[in-house]
Amino acid sequence: MAIIASLVVTMVVGCGSKGVSDARKKVLKVSMGLAEEEWKVMREDIFPDFEKKYGVKIEPVQMEAGDAVKKLESMHKANAMDIDLITQDNMQLAPLVDKGLMEDLSSYRDMIPKEVIPALVPVGEFSGKLYFMPYRPNVEITFYNEKKFNEYGLKPPTNWEELLQVARTFKEKEGMGRVVIKENLGPDSTIHMFDLIRSAGGDPVVLNDEGSVKAFTFLKELQPYLSPESKKADWNTPNQYLATDSAYLIQNWPFTSVVVVKDGGKKEIKAYHGWSGPVKESHVLGGEVIGIPKNAPNKEMAVKFMEYLMSKEVQEKLTSKLGWPSMRTDAYGKVEDWQKPYFEAVNEALKYAEPRPNLTYWADVDKAVNSALREIIFEGKDIKATLDKYHDAIEQAKKSAGQ
Amino acid sequence: MRKIDFGEKLSNTLYLPFAFLAMVAMIIPVYILFKVSVSSPQEILTAHPSFLIRSFTFNHWRQILRSGGLWAPLTKSFLVATITTAAAVVIAAPAAYVIARMPSKIKYAIVLSLFLLRMFPEVAIALSISVQFLKWNLIDTNIGLVMAHLILNLPFAAWILVGTFETIPKDLEEAALVDGAGKVMSLLKIIMPLAMPGIAVAAMFVWLNSWNEFTYALYLTMSKRTLPLQTYYYVVRGGWFDAATYATILMIPVLLVTFFLQRYMKGGYLSGAVKG
Repeated sequence: MAIIASLVVTMVVGCGSKGVSDARKKVLKVSMGLAEEEWKVMREDIFPDFEKKYGVKIEPVQMEAGDAVKKLESMHKANAMDIDLITQDNMQLAPLVDKGLMEDLSSYRDMIPKEVIPALVPVGEFSGKLYFMPYRPNVEITFYNEKKFNEYGLKPPTNWEELLQVARTFKEKEGMGRVVIKENLGPDSTIHMFDLIRSAGGDPVVLNDEGSVKAFTFLKELQPYLSPESKKADWNTPNQYLATDSAYLIQNWPFTSVVVVKDGGKKEIKAYHGWSGPVKESHVLGGEVIGIPKNAPNKEMAVKFMEYLMSKEVQEKLTSKLGWPSMRTDAYGKVEDWQKPYFEAVNEALKYAEPRPNLTYWADVDKAVNSALREIIFEGKDIKATLDKYHDAIEQAKKSAGQ
Repeated sequence: MRKIDFGEKLSNTLYLPFAFLAMVAMIIPVYILFKVSVSSPQEILTAHPSFLIRSFTFNHWRQILRSGGLWAPLTKSFLVATITTAAAVVIAAPAAYVIARMPSKIKYAIVLSLFLLRMFPEVAIALSISVQFLKWNLIDTNIGLVMAHLILNLPFAAWILVGTFETIPKDLEEAALVDGAGKVMSLLKIIMPLAMPGIAVAAMFVWLNSWNEFTYALYLTMSKRTLPLQTYYYVVRGGWFDAATYATILMIPVLLVTFFLQRYMKGGYLSGAVKG
């Protein structure tokens, strides 16, 4: 009875009235996926100026990128959207757009500062419409265990030949592979396959071109010398591999430096931008973008906040306080001393960053790349025949998507 | 003199070693979790971490206790789990008693139908249930989460209690009625105390399920997180020591509640209850 009574009261109280709506206009609910220290910077250095200027209270909501679709979808379906603005991992945008959860921001395109890094804009475009604004670029950098490299007289590899040599040396010296390439048959291995294929001059969305064949051929040659951890490596496990010395060379997102070096005290873990393939160096452009959910209660203020987040003032603070590379070419910040080498590695890697294509049939591309990886590398199937098969699968998906 | 067969002999001999192994298998992961929460990073982040705690530090605990992020999730989780348990027992016990006294065919049909909702994967129904709860403005409320947890737990609680009430002889009720007790009085004074071990098991089961529940909490929580969501946050954010500390804290109320409820889990309640 108590439960039923409480429910009725809650429902009655919860029924919207004009008063509640006006109060809601004074609140801006902002959802981000941040760590404690990042929230601290937001609360102390970013939000107050905006709150003061517009007389609004910012309510921060922690939402992991992987949960955003679920949460926004349930609010959208219930016609009870309660989030005004989100910042979201640019690798996880397609489902938000596919499910019709985001506002079309094309009419605010002029708001993007002209000093923006150009590659960041297409990340937010789907079928010619702009759904997300640039906010924070990111890219995987290469972490290596300097002590172990010195012990065996090795240098961090700068091309495929050197990478093979380093992997072979570790395997010979320790009887165990110590180089990790992500092969978990998920989004993480897709990123590494994109890097390998593009740096060999191929197009991962085509998948059976010369560059793709070269990339898979090289990976097959490298495979016997890789760490067994490669099959399990995602965006999070490299921290553990580096921290426990089970891997000495691995590409991962820059937050690894905070977890392993700053918090974990493993000062021997260094970083640099990475290696190039036979044609070029390439890294998938990651990071975060800004979006406004459909039917956001305080859209007007969300648009203002979106512009504020892209401003030079905010971007410089984010660089100085958090070591985030800026989306603007004119924003400079001073990072902490310990962070400098990692920050430089990120900036260098960003020079070779390429956005992932925004395709409505992305899930099919992801599946094709990983299926090819499984069959060629783990099951030993013929490279060209397998890539032809998955090329056809992608073409079929493309046709079904009407493109 | 009774003859002890080989099977019984084997079982008597192996019982203790197996029990010990099972206990070790369960305790070691918990110990490792605790060890990480009280060890310095240098001790853990090596190729071969020691099994015993070598460099004890209370820093991670101190950090969590001072962060201001612990008490609200802890309180929310505890309240939700306790209210869910109380509600589940209050609703399921009388219902289970009635079901237990029904003819067999009807009884099993009802018990089976209780599990109808549980036959679907949780993630498949969580979205539609959450949408409805959101329409009722139950986001970020304890009552919303309690209701969601009851959906999960009521069938199990009722099932456990049906089994419990079945074991209580009907003759006991009849004897109470002959002695002048009414139906309700005999239920409250005779049947319920005898069903206490089963109620304790059901309560413990519901409490633990609610305490650890994640999917509905994720959907129905915006800013007021439960403790499992808070732990998940630290696991996702890569903070091993914070995550281990939160996970250890998550266990403490479980130990206390289990310790409290297991006092009621005693056998032999019915021995000699009805004599011809």
